[in-house]
Amino acid sequence: MKRKFKPSTIYLAIVFVILYAPIFYLMYYSFNSGGKMYAFESFTWEWYGELLSDTRLLIIVLNTIIIALLSAAISTIIGTLGAIAVWYIRKNKMKNLLLSLNNILIVSPDVVIGASFLILFTFIGIQLGFFSVLLAHIAFSVPIVVIMVLPKLQEMSPSLIAAAKDLGANRYHVLTKVILPYITPGIFAGFFMALTYSLDDFAVTFFVTGNGFTTLSVEIYSMARQGVSLTINALSTILFLFTILLVIGYYFISKRTNANGRMFGLGARK
Amino acid sequence: MRKLVQAFVTVFVISFLLIFIVNRLNAAEGYAGNNTITVYNWGEYIDPDLIDQFEEETGIKVIYETFDSNEAMMVKIDQGGTAYDIAVPSEYAIERMKENDALIPLDHSKLPNLKNIDERFLDLAFDPGNEYSVPYFWGTVGIVYNPTMLEEGRTFTSWDDLWAPDLKNQILLVDGAREVIGFGLNSLHYSLNDTNKDHLQEAKDKLVKLQPNIKAIVGDEIKMLMVNEDAPIGVVWSGDAADMMWENENLDYAVPEEGSNLWFDNMVIPKTAKNVDGAHKFINFMLDAEVAAQNADYVGYSTPNKAAMELLPEETVTDERFYPSPELTDKLEVYENLGPDMLNYYNELYLEFKMHAK
Repeated sequence: MKRKFKPSTIYLAIVFVILYAPIFYLMYYSFNSGGKMYAFESFTWEWYGELLSDTRLLIIVLNTIIIALLSAAISTIIGTLGAIAVWYIRKNKMKNLLLSLNNILIVSPDVVIGASFLILFTFIGIQLGFFSVLLAHIAFSVPIVVIMVLPKLQEMSPSLIAAAKDLGANRYHVLTKVILPYITPGIFAGFFMALTYSLDDFAVTFFVTGNGFTTLSVEIYSMARQGVSLTINALSTILFLFTILLVIGYYFISKRTNANGRMFGLGARK
Repeated sequence: MRKLVQAFVTVFVISFLLIFIVNRLNAAEGYAGNNTITVYNWGEYIDPDLIDQFEEETGIKVIYETFDSNEAMMVKIDQGGTAYDIAVPSEYAIERMKENDALIPLDHSKLPNLKNIDERFLDLAFDPGNEYSVPYFWGTVGIVYNPTMLEEGRTFTSWDDLWAPDLKNQILLVDGAREVIGFGLNSLHYSLNDTNKDHLQEAKDKLVKLQPNIKAIVGDEIKMLMVNEDAPIGVVWSGDAADMMWENENLDYAVPEEGSNLWFDNMVIPKTAKNVDGAHKFINFMLDAEVAAQNADYVGYSTPNKAAMELLPEETVTDERFYPSPELTDKLEVYENLGPDMLNYYNELYLEFKMHAK
């Protein structure tokens, strides 16, 4: 039998424990009947029950999911088309310029983006609420999708398109029968990235919510400000499990693609 | 390609299904339609049963949103794009909102219950004639302490008690320039709104001598720290003190005899209101004696509602910690707007005081 505990394994274990300990600590106390984040008394579902009986919270959860799904889907469509457009540009200078502009949007602080959206929306008179949040989420997701899709396009051999054209495909056919099927994994990866970004976004959303519409992260923030209630723990636990489900979903999609003889994206698995 | 189209169609179908469900839920809760008011209040600052009662009595649905600081609330209202019908700012915030034209004047003919409010709390400097605001709750700044962690028999009847040499590293202060400089001034028997720079300097020098006793200057966490018995003494607002005493029975609260700050949270109608009539109904409802009594009982702050005080349990209204005696009340002062220059001076002194920390 091979020796299991190499120093590198131990190091890795320690890092993961440190990263995950706070989350599990929080999850553990979501079952505390004592109502405190210390001194565990006994096991209870009370906080989860309280959570589920709260219609307002349920509406907020659903709103968050709606925003995530819609913004991810719409930004994936826009972002994919954008990536194809960037890819088609032949001039390298122009291409790099566009890509840099795209990347600036990803790295610029959320607070700046949020504040500028707030100013923009109030300036052009869009009521803060569902649409302002949706628009903002679409806007910050598009650059992410572009970044996820572009590598797939660059990986694609130009001769594929030439071959398709030789065989009599018009531009529409090239797009739908060759390019899109080829970059499908990238598109899904982009979709899932956009989905998670939208789900957990706080800073941007915080600025553009209003009129009774909020998302989960903003709601958790304002709940936490009023003192730590264990319903927050319960909610965070559910959210964490949901994220894990997403990751698993992502894993299976990428695995399926790998089986097709291709690998892509964030997983960086060989 | 078909796979992609399928996936996206599925996503959109699910989204619209969810939107449909949310709309049904909203309708079931009564949030749809025009007959609503949006109340923008501090967290945990109203008895939720009263909202149900208001909805039943008037048929108006209440959308309840919370904020955690006057500043955050003012930004949301100033920016427009929101439709808050009621907000509950503190007195200094009202002065600023008045300057910014962010408030709608109240129609007193629609507020017959205004007569329930104690005259002491009407027609104050920050809003003469209560043109824009009606007091919701009030309180003081004082000392919350934990007798079990201190030597027996120690009391805090004077601000000077904080300077006792044996209290090394025991005191938590709430992080506010006017609060801290304020009790410095109070301990010297000066006014909280003093603009005499010599007096202010004197107060700062005295506060610097308090530094060895100060454990930390903190924000909202002060509640948790006191409840968890991380420190025995804190200088806090009475409302926070009531919360802490609710969570930890060992704690006690005192307003020193030299005097202290008197603060108000007030109901106003911001200019963003869509349902001004409904907002008046809500304010009038909250001023009702029984309602105000029930609310004060739930929230635990001091109510300015005289008629409600008669309905509250005897031990609540005779509790001098939260309903101070007339002699002490005379010494309480409301913060006046001292103008930006003077406020800057306060902040500067406060900063100097903070820099003396060990």
